[in-house]
Amino acid sequence: MRSEYIWSILLFFPVLIIQTTVVPLITVNGITPDLILILLVFYSMRSGQLYGTVLGSIYGFLFDLITGSLLGSTMISKTLAGFIAGYFSNENKREIYFKSYIFVLIVLLCSVVDLVINSFFSSVDLNTNLFRLIFEQGILPGVYTSALSVFVILFYPKRSIN
Amino acid sequence: MFRFFSNVWGNFKEYIVLVVLLIIGLITLSLNQKPAAKKVKSLAFGSFAAFTSVISNVFNVAGVRSENEELRKLNADLMLQVSELRKYGIENSELKGLLALKDTTRYPLIPAAIVSKSLSKSQSTFTLNAGKRNGVLPGMPVINDHGLVGIVNSTSDDFSIVRTLKNLDLKLTVKDERSRVDGIMKWDGSDLVMIDIPKTYDIEPGDRIITSELSSIVDIPIPIGIVLGLSKVETGIFNEVKIKPFVDFIRTEHVFVIGIVENKIQDGLQLNFYKRNKPESYK
Repeated sequence: MRSEYIWSILLFFPVLIIQTTVVPLITVNGITPDLILILLVFYSMRSGQLYGTVLGSIYGFLFDLITGSLLGSTMISKTLAGFIAGYFSNENKREIYFKSYIFVLIVLLCSVVDLVINSFFSSVDLNTNLFRLIFEQGILPGVYTSALSVFVILFYPKRSIN
Repeated sequence: MFRFFSNVWGNFKEYIVLVVLLIIGLITLSLNQKPAAKKVKSLAFGSFAAFTSVISNVFNVAGVRSENEELRKLNADLMLQVSELRKYGIENSELKGLLALKDTTRYPLIPAAIVSKSLSKSQSTFTLNAGKRNGVLPGMPVINDHGLVGIVNSTSDDFSIVRTLKNLDLKLTVKDERSRVDGIMKWDGSDLVMIDIPKTYDIEPGDRIITSELSSIVDIPIPIGIVLGLSKVETGIFNEVKIKPFVDFIRTEHVFVIGIVENKIQDGLQLNFYKRNKPESYK
């Protein structure tokens, strides 16, 4: 197993600690950014679609297990998010993606998909307004998450494009 | 045959893995109520909470000074209220003696700090640094100085997970303090609402909402919030009452667990859902 794969799993734990202790302090009107999703998108784009899908599943399962959420809900949503992020894993364009706003847009797309699917498992009943659900529980937190993902672009190591 | 499967795997492996993992996810969803899954969960969050408690302590220390200032002010206010209440207390016990009513029970409070928060629009949970060793059990109400925070969902030896009021899986029987109207309160993903309240019932914006004595989870009056307004007024025969909670779930750092479920079990009250070993499905 490549060391990169081990790192992606090990990094999950410190990021989850930050997600559950520091991130609540920067919550705006109940809208919380998802640092774990940024990590997932980063590794999915780096290591491919298959890896991203499996990693999303592992991240989601661990998140559900540790935070007391409905076991399996985050697992399914993060699996799909990893799958979508991995779709943009192109060896020739990877460096371009990581150094431009395209990464932010990919995070936004994955975040919205992740949040909407997650909320489908927990929030949807007969009275739910679908558009309101997508906007409040998908797009708003997704925009916040993608805004934070700008830091990945800023701190991504400058290397020559192969 | 082997070549066929090899070709299929080569061409569609990403999709095959996706489908397999989604099926595993769906199976996992169905395992939520199994006792074994709950055990694994409590083991996992207990181990992880040990780390998060260290980090959260660092942040708590930073906020202690300003909190102390606020507490001093609160103490002064409370001192004035206590002297007022003492007078009412004496009158109350005299009147109760006249009416031959039993005295009200005092509830044991278990102090705890929030070591981590999982804030999402639908399933907000807190992790507390008090667990089975401190006497915390699933089903116990969690409060702070403003009102009800949530209900303990699962516990490990030293930590416990609380479902906050902003969790879709938590539904409580509550009542309007003024008009004594009962109703079911739930989190709908964006607001706390009392559902299916007949339009003829007397509920007005500004009314205080407290937990109802009819509740099988919290049967003592704990403040929950204030009525913001009524929705679905034009259509149907029921209103939906929007409630603004007293508790600020983002800023809350210290809470108290009320140790009342254990007493209920000891008393053998059959109505409590926890007596029926269904801690996940309370309403």
